[in-house]
Amino acid sequence: MDKEVTYRVGIPVMGPRGETLGRLEKVLLTESRHLVTGLIVRALESLHILPLDRVTEVSASEIRTTVLPEEFHGFPVFDPTQYEEVPPWFFPPGHHIELGALVTIKPLDVREQGEHEAMSRRAFMGRSVAIVAAAIGVSLLVPIGGYIMAAATTPMKDSWRELGVKLQDLPFDEPVGHSFRAVSVSGWMRVPEEKSVWLIRHSGASDPASEPEDQVLGLDSPLELKDSDPRLTVLSPICPHLGCEPQWHKGQKLFICPCHHSIYQLNGNRIGGPAPRPMDTLPARIADDGAISVIYEQFAIGIAAKKRLA
Amino acid sequence: MGHKIFAYLDERIRISSLMGFLLNEPIPGGSRWAYIPGSMVFFVLILQFVTGMMLAFYYGGTPDHAWDSVNYIDHLTYNGVAVGRLIRGIHYWGSSIMVIAVGIHLLQVFLWGAYKRPREIMWLVGVLLLALTMTASFSGYLLPWDERAYWGTIVGTNMIGLVPFVGEVIKDAIRGGVGLGALTLSHFFTLHTMILPTLFILFVLLHMVIFRRVGPAGPFSGSPEKLEATKDTFYPRQVLMDSFGMLAIFIVILALAVLRPPELESVANPSNAAYSPTPAWYFDWIFELLKLIRPEIVGVVGLPVLIAIVLVFLPFVDRKPVRSPFRRPISVLSTLFVLSAMLGLSIMAENGYKKLVDVDRVAMVRGQGVFNTAGCIGCHTLFGKGGKVGPDLSEEGLVGHSEHWLTVQFLNSKAHFPDSIMPDFTYLTPQQQHDLAMYISSLGRMGWPDPTKTP
Repeated sequence: MDKEVTYRVGIPVMGPRGETLGRLEKVLLTESRHLVTGLIVRALESLHILPLDRVTEVSASEIRTTVLPEEFHGFPVFDPTQYEEVPPWFFPPGHHIELGALVTIKPLDVREQGEHEAMSRRAFMGRSVAIVAAAIGVSLLVPIGGYIMAAATTPMKDSWRELGVKLQDLPFDEPVGHSFRAVSVSGWMRVPEEKSVWLIRHSGASDPASEPEDQVLGLDSPLELKDSDPRLTVLSPICPHLGCEPQWHKGQKLFICPCHHSIYQLNGNRIGGPAPRPMDTLPARIADDGAISVIYEQFAIGIAAKKRLA
Repeated sequence: MGHKIFAYLDERIRISSLMGFLLNEPIPGGSRWAYIPGSMVFFVLILQFVTGMMLAFYYGGTPDHAWDSVNYIDHLTYNGVAVGRLIRGIHYWGSSIMVIAVGIHLLQVFLWGAYKRPREIMWLVGVLLLALTMTASFSGYLLPWDERAYWGTIVGTNMIGLVPFVGEVIKDAIRGGVGLGALTLSHFFTLHTMILPTLFILFVLLHMVIFRRVGPAGPFSGSPEKLEATKDTFYPRQVLMDSFGMLAIFIVILALAVLRPPELESVANPSNAAYSPTPAWYFDWIFELLKLIRPEIVGVVGLPVLIAIVLVFLPFVDRKPVRSPFRRPISVLSTLFVLSAMLGLSIMAENGYKKLVDVDRVAMVRGQGVFNTAGCIGCHTLFGKGGKVGPDLSEEGLVGHSEHWLTVQFLNSKAHFPDSIMPDFTYLTPQQQHDLAMYISSLGRMGWPDPTKTP
């Protein structure tokens, strides 16, 4: 298929013995593969599809095939309603359709300006359509992407919440579960919510046990490091394993999570179970009169890092 | 890669044949700019679908959340870009532009005589789509649940109630009760976001299927031979023209959304009897006409019925095959007359409305400072706080006082109210007077607290 092949509509199609099988009616091709696959031959009473591999020779005056007249009628009959007309803009490489012969070909450009010009015009218009569509699509989809992400990325301001508890009122080395009212923000809504934290007052500032493991491991954010006090540890009630709530067991002096038995010491250090990190400490401030305030942070569960949720 | 995917799909779902069917539609007489309005309407409809879905993302369809959620959308930003206001702006202006595009499409089809045999059914489906467009505008109007939405819907549904015999029943069914409330809002939300889009999809499809069955009408002049000779396929030239039309209308909508973002008036207040509602601009002419027709019932019922009768029966009454507008003087002239009457009535209606002051947002912020330092709050209530001596100013911007009126009020309130005990704030500089007037004009209209900021 390297040399230029010219199909002229109406030229005779000859069998190997030189008998006329019919006349060329159409060229059949697959658009997607840009390949000519066959010829439509008009015999006396019907149109037949002749696969291209049966064609031996194409010349300007005739087409020769290996098909004998008697077997020709065994070739499938072409049903014009099953196929669209050969698209006029389609000229596979190495092929050529004699323009003057194809009176039904559209569009107008092909007839008036020749195939090459029509092809490039057509391709240009096709590209222009794609550019316009892309321009509209991008300028619409970018704001939509931002719009969808906007709520998710709205920064939460850290708000200090005074708990109404004073340090001096807490027992030494005994966690106190303290509930307080907070407001959870969801879109335009402010929903009052009950939150709780563990407050642990340490017996001595120099007590090594007062230093929580997450500080040792360097898990804390600058905020938590800045607002920490050796006299007090504030723990989030949420188990870093899968988000259950560990309970304080007075007799054993341990936090034990009821779900998967993660076990923590007084200051949140792990001593057993599947938890990937110690219990999470929260930033805390102690005022001169001993009043405690905290920032209620929440962290991603199930991972070793103490990753804050927005 | 793309080639392979295409070949794969082509083998299985015959995609090239499908594309060929969609794109190689012959257009008698070739592509024209005159044929783009239909595609433009289609594009705006899709734009409304997309932005509408986005709005529903953050919308709460009950009276105690609707306004707050719309205010929330207005304050949504991403990397400093006010994306929420932009999306709402596109949807808001998209609805106006869609009404215009539908109007142009209808007018073009009319002038080209393209509704004539055999395209009567396609025309009827188009008339139905026009009705859907108007219903969508009307039902979307209520959803922000601000003063304009509430009172506009009160009037709109009251008009339905005037229809003899069935009116009251229909009105109450639409409202979900005698009054306007939570059920009205959820009814309108369902209508606007579920029923209408479904009907739109069905009837747009039908419109297009009929279009492909019967084919484009083509130009109104030219012999069949000539039209056949100059025939063109839909792709690529007409597609390119259509895409330029879509781009143009998109740029217009985007520009309006950015330059004139939609306002949000203060939350619907059923006890604010002083509020004077105005319809959306495309209903202005009906509004004005209804003022002229007495008794009301004739206008309220007669006008829509008349419009419906004219549009529905047009292709069945006007059965002469001649399509050129130059050879149908009566049709064209009466259309021109109706159009200019609509334009005139709309202008009259707009002139009749109280013009709200165009607020300069920079001056408004300065004016808030003046308001706070001048001690206005000592006598006036603002959003629930302040004195009770003077009137509540929470919705003062909606009253429609001019800047001049407000300035006189600051300096010499006895000029307006002889018994007024308001002190004369003559020490205000002209700049301060202007700023304060801007701030007062903004009350009840803008400057709502930002709910995305955690307090």
